[in-house]
Amino acid sequence: MEAKTEKKGNIIDAFVGGARNGFKIGTNSMVPNIIFGFAVISILNLTGLMEIIGKVFTPIMGIFGLPGVAATAWMAIFVSMGGAAGVIAGLFTAGQMTSAQVAIMLPALLLSGAQVQFMGRMLGTAELDTKYYPHMFTIATVNGIIAMLIMNYFIV
Amino acid sequence: MATETKEKRKGAEEQVQVKWYGYIALLVGILFFSGLFQKAPGALKALDFNNVMGSFGTLGELTKGSGTLAENFRGVGGSGPKDGWLYALTLLPSVMFALGMVKIIEHLDGMKAAQKLLSPLLKPLMGLPGSAGLTLITSIQSTDAAAAMTKELSDNGYITEKEKAIFCAFQFSGASVITNFFASGAALFPFIGDLAIWKPLVLIIVLKFVGANAMRFWVNKMDKKEEA
Repeated sequence: MEAKTEKKGNIIDAFVGGARNGFKIGTNSMVPNIIFGFAVISILNLTGLMEIIGKVFTPIMGIFGLPGVAATAWMAIFVSMGGAAGVIAGLFTAGQMTSAQVAIMLPALLLSGAQVQFMGRMLGTAELDTKYYPHMFTIATVNGIIAMLIMNYFIV
Repeated sequence: MATETKEKRKGAEEQVQVKWYGYIALLVGILFFSGLFQKAPGALKALDFNNVMGSFGTLGELTKGSGTLAENFRGVGGSGPKDGWLYALTLLPSVMFALGMVKIIEHLDGMKAAQKLLSPLLKPLMGLPGSAGLTLITSIQSTDAAAAMTKELSDNGYITEKEKAIFCAFQFSGASVITNFFASGAALFPFIGDLAIWKPLVLIIVLKFVGANAMRFWVNKMDKKEEA
């Protein structure tokens, strides 16, 4: 994820460097996160917890056109974008979410994603006054909610 | 010599402190890998390593002149981490290709062009000075680099504390949007059906500005309060 401007090579070097970075992010972050997500879905399904979560959260998640089980993904979003993406992919594979419902969650995944991580990596590094932290969490969370509403009612 | 080592070892053993849940974790771990619960009834099935691992999808069957094959090596009907592994592998080419293309755009000064176009718009869009342009363009690729640059902007007096709050609101929601969209988000691209990929991306970027302006509204309101 380095964005420091390295020495300009040729265009092929640029592409290969980017692709290499994609491979690194893919293998270091995406693959383990997807394994995590699929394992969580597997455990929740085996224990029967998924069914309970599905029932309990149906009324709330229904506002966004999502099934109750999507609550598991929504909770994961705050901790890890990749983990939540893995959970959503797992739910779709298990037949518990439709493609329209995956689309509804996609922007929210980015907008509300990984706040726990970025609190240190972003807000901490930028040395933002901590009195503004609650505003940041609120804005990121509300952005995700607005995105789900817009996706549900206007786009998919 | 020998007794000394022995005593040292004993000391090290005594120093090990285990939280109470350590024993529970060990017990559950042993049970998890033991296979005892493989055929257990109900929820206890989840206490077995192989049950959680799930299965690879099947590739389908071909007999003489008939039958169908799965679309790719992932197969169909798989479950658990095994299925997740094959699925994740199917995504790597698109992530690598997408991030490679982004680098080409950057190499051909596309990002600089974006910076030039955006800088004069920063004031009306978010109430930020044009000097924040480079950081803004960086932030769509790398949260970490942009965060460090934001600190420098404020240390060098280019942005005030309040402008920093606005800028952080922009960066925090939808952090490193391009990179994360094509890395984390890419895991979902195969599943979103007919939806054009630019629609969620545009929505994310628009809402980033909306969030920044919510913060702008807030700090400006508080500003007046403090003055009064």
